[in-house]
Amino acid sequence: MNERTDPSTTRRGVMKGIGGLAALSMSGATIAEAEDVLNDSVPSDPHTLDTYRSIVDAIVPRTPQLESELGPEHVPGGLDVELEKFLVWDFNHFQEIRAEMVTEKGLLDGPSDAEMPLEMFESVLDLTNLGGLFGPDSPLDAVLNLADLDLLGLDLGLDDDALEEALTFGPVERYDISFADDVASSSGPAAFELLVETANETTHEVVQNYPYAPAFTLVFDIVAAEFIARGENEDAIKRDRSKFPAGGTFVQLSPEDRLRCLWTIVDGGVIDRLDDLLSPLVPDVGILKYVVMAVNGLHGFGYYTEWSGLGETKTNTPTERSLSTPAGEVQSRKQSGYPGPADGYAANWRHAVEGGFADPDAEDLNLPSDLKGDDVIEGIGGGT
Amino acid sequence: MNDPDVVIVGAGADGPATAWKLAHDHGVDVLLLEGGPWHGNEQWPKPHADSGGTVSTDPDDLDGKLLDEQFTHREADANDPTYGYLRVGPADHSRAPWFRNLHQNAFIWQVGAVGGTSLHYFANHPRGYPTAFNDQPHWPFDYEELVPYYQLNEELTSTQQAPMTGKEEVFIEGATNAGYDLIETKNVTETGWRPQANAVEVPGRETSNGQPLDADYEGSFSYDDGFRGDTLVGDHFQGSSTPVDAPVRDKARKSSNVGYVPRALDTNESSEQGNVALRPNAYVTDIETKEGAGTLEATGVTFRDSWSGQSQTVDSDTVVLAGGCIETPRLWLNAGLPDDGWVGKGLTTHWFDWIVGVYDDETVADINPEGEHMDPYVGQNSAVRFEKPGIGGMEDIGMSPGLVSYADYLFSQAGYSFDTEVDPDEPWDTRGYVVGEELKRRMSNYKQTKALLILTDDLPRQNNGVSLDTTFSDEHGAVPNVKWEPHPDDDAKRDELSRIAANIHKEAGAEHVHRCDWPPLLLHMQSSMRMGEVLDSNAEAKNVNRLFVADHSALANGVGGPNPTNSGQALALRTADKIADIYF
Repeated sequence: MNERTDPSTTRRGVMKGIGGLAALSMSGATIAEAEDVLNDSVPSDPHTLDTYRSIVDAIVPRTPQLESELGPEHVPGGLDVELEKFLVWDFNHFQEIRAEMVTEKGLLDGPSDAEMPLEMFESVLDLTNLGGLFGPDSPLDAVLNLADLDLLGLDLGLDDDALEEALTFGPVERYDISFADDVASSSGPAAFELLVETANETTHEVVQNYPYAPAFTLVFDIVAAEFIARGENEDAIKRDRSKFPAGGTFVQLSPEDRLRCLWTIVDGGVIDRLDDLLSPLVPDVGILKYVVMAVNGLHGFGYYTEWSGLGETKTNTPTERSLSTPAGEVQSRKQSGYPGPADGYAANWRHAVEGGFADPDAEDLNLPSDLKGDDVIEGIGGGT
Repeated sequence: MNDPDVVIVGAGADGPATAWKLAHDHGVDVLLLEGGPWHGNEQWPKPHADSGGTVSTDPDDLDGKLLDEQFTHREADANDPTYGYLRVGPADHSRAPWFRNLHQNAFIWQVGAVGGTSLHYFANHPRGYPTAFNDQPHWPFDYEELVPYYQLNEELTSTQQAPMTGKEEVFIEGATNAGYDLIETKNVTETGWRPQANAVEVPGRETSNGQPLDADYEGSFSYDDGFRGDTLVGDHFQGSSTPVDAPVRDKARKSSNVGYVPRALDTNESSEQGNVALRPNAYVTDIETKEGAGTLEATGVTFRDSWSGQSQTVDSDTVVLAGGCIETPRLWLNAGLPDDGWVGKGLTTHWFDWIVGVYDDETVADINPEGEHMDPYVGQNSAVRFEKPGIGGMEDIGMSPGLVSYADYLFSQAGYSFDTEVDPDEPWDTRGYVVGEELKRRMSNYKQTKALLILTDDLPRQNNGVSLDTTFSDEHGAVPNVKWEPHPDDDAKRDELSRIAANIHKEAGAEHVHRCDWPPLLLHMQSSMRMGEVLDSNAEAKNVNRLFVADHSALANGVGGPNPTNSGQALALRTADKIADIYF
């Protein structure tokens, strides 16, 4: 699916501890190709892209039903301008991890106040050989393995079988995030290696900054499985995933249920209940409420701005982006009627207070003596 | 500038005002250190791609056309919190923003650059309510003492009453029909509406063809063609470098890179005044101190160049913190200075909400016989407001559509409108996130939509604020951990203001009123290093001599609800006088 997918560069054993760029060179890729991988902003595995596509489609869908009423410009939605790439880019550029602040756990006296343990950022979810002799029995079993937990030790307050039944990561067989370099002996922004394997393809990325985008989509699948196991979905689930074939449990939900499911992270106690399961997947589970804010809000920063007019440059580094469609002529601007930035407007205006505000010198101020304190909240209830 | 009298940490809204006053009125030499980039300065022609120069002291380095090039007026370019040119992060845009740990459905909206958050503000400059100063036991001086500083700040920033255009006329119709009176004073003690006091020049102060700026104007908006003053474009959140081609100091909206930085650099050209040097890309990581007579004393700072990664220590006679309500306490705590329990605490944010009115064409045409649409991108972003001292206020706002879609429909604590019931006794028709077909319908009405921003008088509470994060660190140490939750009293005030706002919309004839029910938006941050607790009445640290705070964190509360820039800058000007009185 991705032109930069290159199985020859996926041997993590070779890469680890040597340094991403050098290792790629040794693995047969040219330096130019290696830099391409390093700089490419949105090489993404299909599970990640399809999961975000399912959110974009829930928030800014195609709306052919609006054509007769509002006009044909109101038909296309966020997927028509690849808004999922905007979400992936923003989440993957959300937090820089500095190598000099990362430490191997157990060295000397352990992390100082400012140091972060290496293990916080490395994670392997292994779903290969499901049900096999040495593999996990189910995706839930793989998550439990990752968290070093067993179901008996979890008190989720729901039917474990139902959770097990509901959870799938779609075609994902292995998900592996690790530092691309030996952080113990380096400094500066750390690069991460991300490997996502499915039955018939492997996506390998080396990215600067923590690759949150793919991590969040695994979280959304687990949260969706709990959502279904609790019976909170209002619409039937669709197991065929025909619209988003590489997604997991999350994309099986109806568009509105996907959003209801995300909302359980903010207002449903999910973070507390699933903390043990989610902790190995994201460095800090606590930010997930902020992430739900961003998942919704980024549609405003992406779809309803000029972003889609950046054409092929839309996920380049910011200084290398340029408009190929004028800011007032992109898809969403045709829908809102905004003409784009202007140098000025000829418009009628007036001053409401002729001559300006009255403003005596400080010594001549004669303020009322019966001012109310800031703790006085009389009038509450709709009065004026 | 190796031997400054004063080092100021942060060149946001308040640091440059402090620097100007110290140098201009007191002959003090000042070094301003700013963690973010400097736009519109020839020393940094590509501030996000190249390290550029080191320090600037020459007002001729300022270049308005360069600023026009860098501030593209495009929304995502400017405002995207991850990649926009107005974000909080290193100047190098191949790097991620600086991380703050926030365990909430909430959004922190700041700008890290010369000019700080005043780069994207609407330039609203109301004074705080007198009641908010006079009745708080921990606030150490009377409102009247701040008035001369308000007056000075208003003069320097061209603060005046904002012009009424189409959307404001609709608000005035609603407020008048609802029975509110026009307030005609800057010192507000009563309920009513009034034109916004804002730091933007008069529209079309001079036009290119000598004709008035009105609907018939057909001339140029370029400074080079003779246009002066405001051009009536609602793009202030994108940086607003209009009139185009104008020198930096003559841009109409007086964010502090326009209103104060040029003046501060001008002091270098007078032998009577002090010198000011400004160094961007210099993130202060430590406050140097020595043990004095029974107390600590600040002796300078250590900063890190964000491009080279190299650190350097600068000695000074006094240190002024002006990094804002998050970075100032974070630096204090990372520097290991004493904390008696209020450092970083008491953060207020005006517990905003956003009440949206959608109007039909006929209603607007009845109110504005000369206008066809309300066009929220025409005219100043916010030109009229409502006041209710003791409770808070609100302001009428129009913006470009990306911002509108986010603020009106994609930021809520109420859940999705398709599941959110609306109490039939409440004056709004819908509440919560609006998505799907309904979102597209609402955005198709963008040109007839405007919102009222609720600004609640939330009070400082010790459990809200900034602490050092125990999970993440960056190159500057532990990252800030930020938390803000409303008190039930704050909710009650916000509900009342929201009802008033919905009523004003309805009295103006809105066909649909929507309450967003925003979660915390940390934009108007105040009071996290408050005078009366962390600071004394001179804004000097109680526990560290020669260490001052001159940013909005020194305010003791949210000044009652009015936008805080005018109050923060007025207080910073006063603090500059106090520093000079005490130490120079």
